[in-house]
Amino acid sequence: MSSSSGRLDGRTAIVTGAGQGVGEGIARRLAAAGANIVVAARRADTGEPVAAAIRAAGGSAVCIETDVSSRESVEACVGSTVERFGSLQIMVHNAFRGGIPHRLEQADLDKHWSHMSRTGVWAVMYCGQAAWPHLRASGASGRFIILTSPSGIEGSANIPLYSPVKAAERAMAKSLAREWGSSGVTVNCIGPVASSPALVTAFERTPTLKGAIEARTPLGRVGDPEADIGSVALFLASDDAAFVTGQTIICDGGSFLGL
Amino acid sequence: MGNDGAANIVIDGSGALADALRAAEICVERPTTIVVTRIATDAKSFDSLTDADFDDAWERPMQEAIESFQAAHRARHERLIALVPTIGMSGAAGLAHVAATAEAVRVMVKSAARQWGADGMTVNCIALAPELFGIDPAAVGAVSIAPLALAGKGSVADDVVPLIRMVASADAHHMTGATLNADGGLWMTS
Repeated sequence: MSSSSGRLDGRTAIVTGAGQGVGEGIARRLAAAGANIVVAARRADTGEPVAAAIRAAGGSAVCIETDVSSRESVEACVGSTVERFGSLQIMVHNAFRGGIPHRLEQADLDKHWSHMSRTGVWAVMYCGQAAWPHLRASGASGRFIILTSPSGIEGSANIPLYSPVKAAERAMAKSLAREWGSSGVTVNCIGPVASSPALVTAFERTPTLKGAIEARTPLGRVGDPEADIGSVALFLASDDAAFVTGQTIICDGGSFLGL
Repeated sequence: MGNDGAANIVIDGSGALADALRAAEICVERPTTIVVTRIATDAKSFDSLTDADFDDAWERPMQEAIESFQAAHRARHERLIALVPTIGMSGAAGLAHVAATAEAVRVMVKSAARQWGADGMTVNCIALAPELFGIDPAAVGAVSIAPLALAGKGSVADDVVPLIRMVASADAHHMTGATLNADGGLWMTS
């Protein structure tokens, strides 16, 4: 366990898409800080090893198979979480499908839009609604954290329809921050650039991409899901960030400096 | 492409704002498509939103906007201007489902600008007062911490049309991916 152990003692977090990449890094980091973790993964064969690794390190974690594009599945995940751990303080929505490069004028709604819309924007609604009664009951400890992207601010020349989905998530976070503020619950976004299976695939598809990202990044590297992104998630989930809401923290080594 | 004023402009969208723009018979220098984003107007608490609400406020307007952008590109128009309310940038209690669409279209403008600049097309956004889209001002009252710098929603003829003419002019040939806020000072942070 890291030195941050104890900051989230007694709290419970659901992390969607925690079977790999950024979600896994966040789950591991929050677990190291003492939170009970629900690894909400679409497939148990990816989620269960993450939960097992957290338990092996002395943490508390279970895997619950969850399809974030299904209201019923998300509600079942939240219900099982509360039944198991007694409460829910932190909902982290990270899961995402899609992101196939395309030309906007040739984009096909089924192929290039629907998965991203469903697992991005629709899932924010499902995760937020299912978690809300429990976050509200947690008052000033309640947290809704949404993983978005710098592309949701600056647009994307490579995956143009990815950007509006990530922009919509930011707008929803701001709106919910206003709507839920009186309860003490905070709503924030993280815009990461970090190593993930999707990024590794992109690097394989475009061999020059990794060097290009590193060259334009002041810190000269791609982020680590646990050490770099998980730490920001831990800050937002902790009492230290009780007065931070409606914000997007871009965590990309300085690649995007436009806020 | 010709340069014969009103014949060069397509107003793509429905509702009172689109109707007012059509009635204005705007003359523009460059062939232009105006995409009037379809904006749901009913404020509703987030926890009470149904799938039908979200389909009406998010999914269908976004699919329409994507198709409108594609149609403008097919038409080889030199200017695409998307109109949205500023609540996408500010967020608004009770309008999360609506703010999502407004901000998504605003950022899709940037993606389109990045891809279509090489095709000789500029893509920009004009962000307007929510009232022009039929949103009750009371619903967005919590957005601003200060009174409007300028009172009122602004006039389509006097305030919106001149902006469209400017963005659609030859003078704006090097401006793309931009957002022009024209909401009377409701939201001053881009």
